[in-house]
Amino acid sequence: MGRPERVRLAAEIAAAYVRTRVALRDRPIATVLATLRAGARPASAHNASRTCAATAGERAQTLEEARRLGRAVARTLALVPGDTRCLVRSLVLTCLLARRGIPATLVIGAQTTPRFLAHAWVEHDGLPVLDPGDGSFARLVEL
Amino acid sequence: MTPDAVQEATSVLDARVAVPQHVVYRSFPSETVVLNLNTGKYHGLNATAGRMLETLERSASVRAAALTLAAEYEQPAEILERDLCALCRALLQRGLVEVDGSPAS
Repeated sequence: MGRPERVRLAAEIAAAYVRTRVALRDRPIATVLATLRAGARPASAHNASRTCAATAGERAQTLEEARRLGRAVARTLALVPGDTRCLVRSLVLTCLLARRGIPATLVIGAQTTPRFLAHAWVEHDGLPVLDPGDGSFARLVEL
Repeated sequence: MTPDAVQEATSVLDARVAVPQHVVYRSFPSETVVLNLNTGKYHGLNATAGRMLETLERSASVRAAALTLAAEYEQPAEILERDLCALCRALLQRGLVEVDGSPAS
């Protein structure tokens, strides 16, 4: 990926971050997700890797693209002041994936020992594309 | 108890309790974690309250849930009814349950 493309992607992530933060101010998570997914490109046969139409190679390619975007979101938001915790990162990535027609599930999990912790991450085709934690988080909900 | 309090307790006992769509919960060995997706708030219930919530959701009324739990915990049904009513009020205040379709905040 060349520099202009990286800059464009960083700008897209920044814009999605602003949309996410604004939406989270007064709307429930499910509504925010629906807003961020609205206008998304419909999943193509290539990207809809849950369908039989996608070959194993296409599925792997889509997964790699989703993971690449996940890394880009994590790297870019690490430089942004303000709340860039797991839920915001997950919502931003969900927005980016939706724009590319890549199906994604936002997962919220929790652990209770040794102390209570909650975590959110994104999965594509059942596989994490954002850090799912150390495996100690039990799934509470998939959105 | 005042007459109003008696009437309120009776109406709660006959009510059916439901967990709204925007509320999810999961039982862990030490506690039950409840997440209100509308508020983004997590709540913790101890093991007994978690079991009560599960039973309330599966029962036709609070009274029926009290009978189930009374047998399970080998306690008088009146005690369970009182505890369940208190739990229902606490959960209702936090928008974590609906009673007979009443809106949860």
